Order: sequence, then structure tokens, then C-alpha cells
Amino acid sequence: MDEVRAAIAIMKKDLKTFFRYRIAVVSQIFVPLYQGVIPGLLFGASFAVGGRVIGLEATVGTENLAGFIFMGGVMSGLIATGFWGMAMGLRNEMDAGTLEPSWLTPTRHETLLIGRALSGVVWQVLGQIALFAIGITFFGLRFRTEIIYALPAVLVAVVAMVGVAFLLAAGVLLIREASFFIDTTNFLFSIASGTAFPVTILPAVFLPVAFLLPTTYAVDLLRVSAIGQRPLFDPVLEWAALLGTTALAMFVGRWAFARAVRVIRVRGTLGQY
Amino acid sequence: MRRYPTLLLSVLFWPILLPASAVLMGRAYSGSNDPQALQAFAERAGTSEVTGFVFVGYAMYMWLSAMLWGPGSALRTEQVRGSLEAVFLTPTSRLVPLFAPPVAALPAMILDFAVIFPAMWLLFGVVLPFDALLRAFVVAAIGIPALYAIGALFASLVLRYGEIGPVVHLTRGIFVLACGITFPLTMLPAWAQLGAALLPPTYTVADTRTVLLRGEGLGAVAGDLIFVVALTVIIAMLASVVFRWLDRSARRTGMLGRY
Repeated sequence: MDEVRAAIAIMKKDLKTFFRYRIAVVSQIFVPLYQGVIPGLLFGASFAVGGRVIGLEATVGTENLAGFIFMGGVMSGLIATGFWGMAMGLRNEMDAGTLEPSWLTPTRHETLLIGRALSGVVWQVLGQIALFAIGITFFGLRFRTEIIYALPAVLVAVVAMVGVAFLLAAGVLLIREASFFIDTTNFLFSIASGTAFPVTILPAVFLPVAFLLPTTYAVDLLRVSAIGQRPLFDPVLEWAALLGTTALAMFVGRWAFARAVRVIRVRGTLGQY
Repeated sequence: MRRYPTLLLSVLFWPILLPASAVLMGRAYSGSNDPQALQAFAERAGTSEVTGFVFVGYAMYMWLSAMLWGPGSALRTEQVRGSLEAVFLTPTSRLVPLFAPPVAALPAMILDFAVIFPAMWLLFGVVLPFDALLRAFVVAAIGIPALYAIGALFASLVLRYGEIGPVVHLTRGIFVLACGITFPLTMLPAWAQLGAALLPPTYTVADTRTVLLRGEGLGAVAGDLIFVVALTVIIAMLASVVFRWLDRSARRTGMLGRY
């Protein structure tokens, strides 16, 4: 119970800090719009024939371009939260000189990340509501009511991303200067999950990597429910793969994090950056 | 860059991966190169060579990013480190810290050029004629001073506003949307196309595509290039005037040391 209270306290602290920077809050909504959504929509629409995106329909079984892009954005935002909010958050604490005091509290080290995950999820929900409202109003975003069936898949993906964030946090603790590492791996993870285009378009050599990522199945299940996209596999198989890869991510992530914590305690590098 | 090798990695990573992922998006949207979809794209973009279109656009994106985040933010970096006042106390003209930092960005910009086109060939098998590459180099060389001037204009804003990160983000976003960098300009509404006609990168990216992908000579884009030079002179003069004005204001208000 104490750990839950600590996680909630970290969440509140993070949200309080986040909302103090109002320009940053606004840019968190508008940056995905002008960097991803609008260029993606206009680029996709430039292939339209008679107002129909027949190419997308041939690729994924639906011509709902806005739905395809916005649903990819949901998972892309979740992945970015795992990479930047949770894993890179430790680096920010290093810079601020607050990581050692946090590490010395009786709270478990894993709780520090889980608290960040909670604040990330709260922000994601608020941010996605705002983005969807803008999408529906200005960009013709439409999706089916069956989207609600995909919510459990998104929740499982949140758990998976916590596991991935443990693994990344281990890397951040060991290599310290991690901006490039986080930036590039975030991009590759997102692309390999099929947030921007279906993974079937990826070169064959990358497909095994894509099928090892829980987010690949989560974004596919989300699009299948929300816009009637043709699924990659049978949805039952996708659910099994999602749960299996999530368990794997959590196991490997926690193991790597525990190892990294032990290594930095032995080397005394927690305060170095 | 020599001291921070990860910066070199980023120069190699982003110019390849960003356009490559956009090309794959294009394949998804075109139904893996459906002839009808490609024909529709060609009518809007002026070329059916989606890979070349995307790679040229992202070259401009990388240059804009390098210019706005590098020289455009150089004065801010000096300000945060506490060395801006010391620099301004030297007998050097104030315009030197404004216009000199872009020189440091030039090697990275040339490296982008050197990375992007081989990547296009190695990853997607698109080989561009050597003479077309030379013409594109001329177009880029004429267009780069315009980016230089835009970077300088932004740098001067540091003296008034300090933190310009969000402004840089916003400006890069506007350029990406308005200049036809990642999609054909004809997809924009008429009023936005009118605005785009006043931005030098619009011409640089369109002319580079013209000489590279449509095989046109420099004569076909000469009018655009002259207009870009004129815009460059205007923006550079504007940057100098704004910088002098904000410098005077910063000295009066003591803004130089505050951030």
C-alpha cells in the first residue's frame, strides 16, 4: 500500500510540474498535429483517386486515412511516454541532482518508474482526447463505436511499455548521456510497431523484430476495432501474442533494471552524468 | 562534433531513417505503387518518383532543423552558459556572433547531402544522373544563404525573449507544412500556397526536385533562384535591423544576462 501511495505521489508531482509549463502543454498537443498528423494526411491524400485513398484500402482494407493516422498516433504517443517520460525521466533527475536522494528513500526503485508511468498515462488520456476532438472537428476523423473493444488492448500495451521502460531505464542508468539512444530507439520502436504504416510494408528482415513488439499487436487490434482495418493475423492470435510479448517485456525489463541498479551501486556511478 | 561522437551518429541516422520511413508510408498510401494512385500523385507533385520527392523534401527538413536548432539557437546557448555578455564585450562587431555560427552548421548540411542521395540509391535503388546532382548542388548552394538568414533572424529574437525553443519548434512546423517539404504544395489551400510563395525554402525544395527528378536545366528555375537571392538579401537585412534594435533594447532592460 505504501508503494501505491508513493507512486501516486510521484504522479501528482510530475503532473504538477508538467502543467506549470503551459507553452509546453500546448506544444504537446500541437507538435504531433503539425509534425505527424497534418503532413501524414496531406501526403496520404496526394495519392487519392476521385477523393478515395484507394492505395490505403488495397494495403490495409480501409480507406479511412484520418482514422489510420490518428489510431497510429495513440500508440505512438504511448511509446513516446515510455521512452521519454519514464526512461529518460531518470536522466532528468540525474541532471537535476535529485536521483540520489530519491534512490535513498525507502521506496522501491521500480516505484519511481511506475509513478512516472501513471502520470504519463493521465497526460496521454487528456492529450488524446484533445487530439481526437481536433481530429473530429477539423480533419474528418471518424471511427466505429467498436473502438471500445480495443481499450483492453491499449491498457495491456501500457503495461508492456512499463516493461520496455524498465529495460530502457537500465540503459539510461548505465550509459548516462542517453538523449540520442532514447531518440533513435523511440523512433525505431514506433516505426517497427506499425504506427506510421502497416508492418507488412517493412523490409522482410525487420518483420521478426516487429512481431516481437507488443505494440505491433496493440495498434493492429486498435485499428481493426476502430476503423475496420484488415487484421495482421486472427485477432485471437493477436491477443495471445500481445499478452505473451507483454509478459516477456515485463520480465526482461525488470531483470535488466535490477541488474543495472546493482551495477551502478557497485561502481558508484549513480551521481555521475 | 569531434568531441561528441553521438552528434555524428545523428547526422548519419536521421537523414536516412526519416525519409526512408516516409517512403514506406508512401508505399502504404499508394497500395504498394498502384498505377492509379501513382498517377494521382504525379499530377499533384509533378513527378511519379515518390522516393526522390520524399528524400529531397527531407534534405530540406534536415537543413532547416540544423539551421534553426544550431545557429538559430547559438546566442541562446551562449546566454545559458553565461558567456553572451563576455562575447558582447569584445571589440568584435555585434553582427559577428549573429552571422558567424551558421558556418559551423555548413559541414553538417553538406554531410546530409552526401548521406541522403547514396542512401536513396542503396535502400531504394533510385540512381540520379550525376549532372542532375550537380545542378541540384547549385540550387542548394543558392538556397542555403536564405536558410542562413532565417537562422540569423531567429537568433536575434533570443535577445528579447530568451527561451526560443517553442518558437523554433513552431517555425519548423510552419516551414514543413507550408513549403511542400513532405507533401505536394498543391495539397494546401490557395491562401496557404500564397504564403508559401514568400518563403525561400519553397523555391529551393521545388527547384531541387525540378532539376533532379524532372531533368530540367538551371535555366528552367533561373527566375526562382533570382527571387530566392532577393528574398535572402531582404531577410538578412531584416535580421540585422531586428538584431540591432533588440540589442539596444536588451542593453536598456538588462535582458542580456537574464534567461
